[in-house]
Amino acid sequence: MKEQTTSQLPDISFVNEVRLNARHWTVAFIIIAFILLATPRVWKRVERFETTADYRIPYGLSRDYWLYQRRLQQIDDPKRIILFGDSVIWGEYVLPERTLSHFLNQESGSRNQFVNGGVNGLFPLAIEGLVDNYAKAIRHRKVILHCNLLWMSSPKADLQVQKEEKFNHSRLVPQFRPRIPCYKADANERLSAIIERNVQFMSWVTHLQNAYFHDKSIPLWTLEDDGSDPAHYPNSYKNPLAQIKMAVPSDPAVDPLRGPASPRHKPWTANASGPTEFEWIELNTSLQWAAFQRTVQKLRKRGDDVLVIVGPFNEYIVAKDNLGPYQKLHDGVVRWLTQEKVDYLAPEPLPSELYADASHPLTEGYQQLAKRIYSDPGFRKWLLQK
Amino acid sequence: MLFHTWPFLVFVLIVLPVFFALKKTRLWIPWLMAASYFFYGWWNPYYLVLVFYSTVLDYLLVTLMDHCPLGGKGSEPQRRLTHPHFDDAVLKYAFIVAALLTVGAFTLGIWGPPTLRPTMALLGLICLLMTLGALLSSRKIWLLISLINNLALLLFFKYARFVIENLNAAFNWMHWSVTLPDPSTLMPFNFPYVLPVGISFFTFQSLSYTIDFYFGKVYRERNFLRFATFVCFFPQLMAGPIERARHLLPQFIEFPEVRLKNFTDGASLFVVGLFKKLALANYLSFYVERVYENPKSFGAPALMLATFAFAWQIFFDFSGYTDMARGIAQVMGFRLILNFNNPYLSTGLGEFWTRWHISLSSWFRDYVYIPLGGNRGGAFRIYRNLFITFLISGIWHGAAWTFAIWGILHACGIMVTRELERSAMYREDVPKILKQIAVFIFVCFTWIFFRAESLSDAFLISGRIFKAAWTNPEVPALMLLLVFVVWLYQFLLELPGREVLKTGLVRVSVVVAMVVYLCICSSGAGSFIYFQF
Repeated sequence: MKEQTTSQLPDISFVNEVRLNARHWTVAFIIIAFILLATPRVWKRVERFETTADYRIPYGLSRDYWLYQRRLQQIDDPKRIILFGDSVIWGEYVLPERTLSHFLNQESGSRNQFVNGGVNGLFPLAIEGLVDNYAKAIRHRKVILHCNLLWMSSPKADLQVQKEEKFNHSRLVPQFRPRIPCYKADANERLSAIIERNVQFMSWVTHLQNAYFHDKSIPLWTLEDDGSDPAHYPNSYKNPLAQIKMAVPSDPAVDPLRGPASPRHKPWTANASGPTEFEWIELNTSLQWAAFQRTVQKLRKRGDDVLVIVGPFNEYIVAKDNLGPYQKLHDGVVRWLTQEKVDYLAPEPLPSELYADASHPLTEGYQQLAKRIYSDPGFRKWLLQK
Repeated sequence: MLFHTWPFLVFVLIVLPVFFALKKTRLWIPWLMAASYFFYGWWNPYYLVLVFYSTVLDYLLVTLMDHCPLGGKGSEPQRRLTHPHFDDAVLKYAFIVAALLTVGAFTLGIWGPPTLRPTMALLGLICLLMTLGALLSSRKIWLLISLINNLALLLFFKYARFVIENLNAAFNWMHWSVTLPDPSTLMPFNFPYVLPVGISFFTFQSLSYTIDFYFGKVYRERNFLRFATFVCFFPQLMAGPIERARHLLPQFIEFPEVRLKNFTDGASLFVVGLFKKLALANYLSFYVERVYENPKSFGAPALMLATFAFAWQIFFDFSGYTDMARGIAQVMGFRLILNFNNPYLSTGLGEFWTRWHISLSSWFRDYVYIPLGGNRGGAFRIYRNLFITFLISGIWHGAAWTFAIWGILHACGIMVTRELERSAMYREDVPKILKQIAVFIFVCFTWIFFRAESLSDAFLISGRIFKAAWTNPEVPALMLLLVFVVWLYQFLLELPGREVLKTGLVRVSVVVAMVVYLCICSSGAGSFIYFQF
């Protein structure tokens, strides 16, 4: 160490040449702004995104909200009707061409009037965020919103418990108000979720990660292991740019987890789970129900003609002495919809064997449900009204 | 609150406009102090007690020191002890208050709530020393109290557990039936015993003020808020640079000149720091962690590359933090000292330490090395001083033998190469690039001890680098590419081609590339390595 006093310390501000003056910053700012604004738009033009009449957002891209938005923007025919909802609308146990929207199209004799706008893993608090931020293209249209009472079946399902819970689509839920007790993300995560929702470029980055990099950032993708023991890292020497195939991945041609051939596609009774005691939430305290109400109001504010389908919940799974509170909840939902003059349908439950669990129908269940809905005079009237 | 997170952006968007709006008032210093306390309290509000206590005590001690005569004239210990008298009214009041506090603290230390007793006993000791300082009217005693207090805080929070564990292990080895209690049992009101973030930085900064004042190198700051802002100035509070009072305090006297250049320079520094942290340091950390967590499973190439990666990780992490700190301060019009000057371009170990963590190495030079004798005396004394300084510097980084060995290795390295670096042969005949590579390799080797989880891991890694099989290291090529691009940029800075880097086109392109890369590829928001020190 040389003896030198502190006043002799090198008084250098910069040890590199990355030092921009005001003119440089202006140019840099313009270029960066242009890149941020233009990239998602250009990307939409150059990336292939092929959809069919029964298209649904692939399971692996459930968190790709930018793609969801792009999908909705594609639907420019005002006569087409979007079905918003969770995995019941998406079709958890069934193939894409066996969902509710498919059977409604079949009933209506049209090929693509009804659009599957469901996303796997959603729930009312997340649907609210999805509709609010990524479904802005849907204005002055007819929309169907599914109300799944399962989300009010316990404090945990309603996200009311104090203990931290990890849940899907946390980036869609309200980050600060209303407060979700079991959502314990730090301020940075919450703010980054808000920024992602509001900055197209950031949503596009998530799309890039979802579509081509296994839902990871590019650096993390290069570090990804193959799950073997000892681990190997197959992407270490790969060129990340070569991964970008410029075509949105689709669902696998054969989905082993869905459809009649899948072992999951069976009646709920086959799982030997008997009737269940649910801890139904009071509607006036339910976070999910409040989010559902806000979603209806937001859609109506956009000029959308909303029709709500309540359930049908698998009432056979509800323990007998638990049916009272369930009915009370169901009636409360119906009462509010009536009060608010929201068109709704509350179909009777399907036969027990057509449910895969508490709320998801099997293929035949969807078919029957579509028939019931389509034959309902209220629905026909709603379809015809301008 | 980390610089590279969104809450910090919100914080800055509130703090800066208000700061500039207060330009024509006296409130800008209280605002800066409040902002800094909020920034620090964001981590853990309990930490605020500590930083406030340290600030108040050092402020008081310097005030009292200022009331004592210079040159030890006031201290005629025996006479003053037998015939107490005070030349200064302030010292008289200080004596009374300190004496009362001593009695109060010792009373609570004996009869107070059990969880409060150890703290009160220590506070009683500090107050007793203060009573003595006032009675003897001695500047030395005030300095001593500041040293004891700051170092005790540091020792307790940072090293107590390490020392106690080692002592207990030694007692056990000697079959003594003595077990020292864990330091957490000494915490008042059962507060959690956790290392306060940045304690090593703000204690050193505060301490430098009292030492400099004692030696007459700095004026006494009469405005408490200004002094408190100096100790906790938020850009550099957590991980430096460790500022000196004579450099930073005068900047708080007048509202800094508002210049466009401050904004553009500050933003440039901040973007570079952000890129270093988010794009480089965090990315490298994943590979380093993979290998260093389980070194037995990796071959020599992976261990070498992980060590190489760590060398760059720690540089990007720490210098990135410093760049951001300096950038934020610069936007406000304050200049913080340079902390890193492309250290991996050093041609000697001595030079390395004038380029790496400059504020800390200069601190150790001024307050440890020079007081020990510095370069005065024979070779033995110089080497002894170097050894002690580097050993302390190593231990400053953490309570583990690995850090001590790291410090010793650097001391040995400097001792061995000191004469070589001074020789004309080394200076003139050895190609610069060879010297740079040799220094880099040695520094990388020492980083093994810095990063390893334990001493045995460090020896295992150093051994396996030479003995283990040459297996596929599976290191991400993209990661290496990024590091080499930065390294190349640094080398270019020292070549005549530097002029190319100065053109507007290159500067703007580099910033645009960094920002776009950050938007697309940032690697998570991990904390900074140096926060633990």
